[in-house]
Amino acid sequence: MQVYLPIAEIPVNMFVIFGMGGAVGFLSGLFGIGGGFLLTPLLIFSGIPPAVSVATVTTQVVASSASAVVTYWRRKAIDLKLATMLLIGGVVGSLLGVILFDVLQSVGQLDLVISLAYVTFLGAIGSLMLIESVRAIRRRKSGARVTARRPGQHNWIHGLPFKMRFRQSKLYVSVLPILALGGIIGFLGTVLGIGGGFMMVPALIYLLRVPTNIVIGTSLLQIMFTMAAATIFHSIGTQTVDIVLALTLMIGGVIGAQFGARMGQNLRGDQLRLLLALLVLLVGMRFAIDLLLTPEDFYSIAIMKGAGA
Amino acid sequence: MISRVALLLAMVVCLFGTQTRAEDLVTALSSDEVSIQSNFTGTEIVIFGQISRDLNTIARPGVYDLAITVEGPSQDITTRRKGRFLGVWVNREYETFQGVPSFYALASTRSVGELGDRDLLDEYAIGLHHLNLAVSGHSGVPLSERDDFRNAFLRLRQQQGLYSERPQSIEFLTETMFRTKVPLPANIPVGQYKVKSYLLQDGGLLSAKESELTVAKSGFEQVTYNLANNYSLIYGLLAVTLAIFTGWLAGVIFRKD
Repeated sequence: MQVYLPIAEIPVNMFVIFGMGGAVGFLSGLFGIGGGFLLTPLLIFSGIPPAVSVATVTTQVVASSASAVVTYWRRKAIDLKLATMLLIGGVVGSLLGVILFDVLQSVGQLDLVISLAYVTFLGAIGSLMLIESVRAIRRRKSGARVTARRPGQHNWIHGLPFKMRFRQSKLYVSVLPILALGGIIGFLGTVLGIGGGFMMVPALIYLLRVPTNIVIGTSLLQIMFTMAAATIFHSIGTQTVDIVLALTLMIGGVIGAQFGARMGQNLRGDQLRLLLALLVLLVGMRFAIDLLLTPEDFYSIAIMKGAGA
Repeated sequence: MISRVALLLAMVVCLFGTQTRAEDLVTALSSDEVSIQSNFTGTEIVIFGQISRDLNTIARPGVYDLAITVEGPSQDITTRRKGRFLGVWVNREYETFQGVPSFYALASTRSVGELGDRDLLDEYAIGLHHLNLAVSGHSGVPLSERDDFRNAFLRLRQQQGLYSERPQSIEFLTETMFRTKVPLPANIPVGQYKVKSYLLQDGGLLSAKESELTVAKSGFEQVTYNLANNYSLIYGLLAVTLAIFTGWLAGVIFRKD
């Protein structure tokens, strides 16, 4: 069924878009991620203008994280104070992201920056996750005990000033790294059209030592609000949020996520992380190939002013 | 369609009285407005026409040539070329073409080169290679390579289906009545279009006519587009509300415990 998208100004097959939303939703439910980093490239590769893809996925991430937040809220596995602090950083980062997005779009380097950032972040995080999960699997196979969080363990981050107490997370840390983390992820999320959960979760666990059971819910709540802010900033700044495209993706996404989550319960954590690491690396590699291989067409055109700009 | 033809003939009759030139051209469009709705996947417009001859004019030997162009509202378009930089392919040189049509379709009775000489074709922008592709003031592209950018621009626009040239696509119904169809692809930009018809013979212009065509979004598409452009904050809030509601609903429906 062909439907004309009011903002993207092209007709798309609704079932294909719905299917994409569903497939990415399945993976996001399986791995407990937003899936933005998969969905944005998929949309771009299928012919949706990059600017529309990035802005619209931020809206889709709001929906997919909202549906998961409901579950974590019920389990009371969200640290509201921590989420608020992350959010303050996130909104500022997101605002800067929209400004940069606009500038890059007008100088014609948006695609390059998106590709480079995907290669860098997906490559780095994918490799780290791969190493970590392989080690975990080996440890499990050799029968060694996985070391639990030790309360007294500290790193340089715990020496920073402006400390604040987060009761639910049993933390007493400086707000600076929290604001910075929220800001960086909000910024990247807005520019790249990703929620950033796959960066936020490891950062909260390894850098701030937030308990694992609190991490996902808190990260999801923060992502939901940051992406909501990004949607509004994109609506005002670039006017590229396509509500019809977003709604189709959301419906596919939330349904897919339920099936993914059910399947995820049958897999071990380290196996899931290994699969996710491979997936992240694969997407990163796809972007790297585009940058390195001689392009089929050296020329490209972009409308700068007038009808359809 | 019959009523259109009747209208056309009525117009022809009316015009006979005031005619000063030897040959004149009367044209009509199958529709003055193309409306884009959610099921829009492209359409086509039919252009009818009649060549009318003054009663005192002696029939000239030779055949008439016709060229009909459909031009969309103008745009500034930047054409970029990729180059290698530190091992990766990035956009390097660029050229901005100013005030070029966002859509251009030519229908003609013969191939462009046979219609007339270069000056005439350039003057009336008949044919893709006779469009005025003015570049912006500051350009880092050497003169010798400017044509590469022009050609790439025309090629990419043709690939998108927004520029086309279709010789021999005008059909003569009688000796003086003609008809042509111009396809409008799904990705046409909205705005005011100009349909220009030229009657030519032996490389000379005998008559020209211009009419307007409106391409506009309608219904839901228009409301959404308007909201996004003129009330962007409300649009953004609406998108967020919709997303949170969809997510919340899914969370409640698929509740496991």
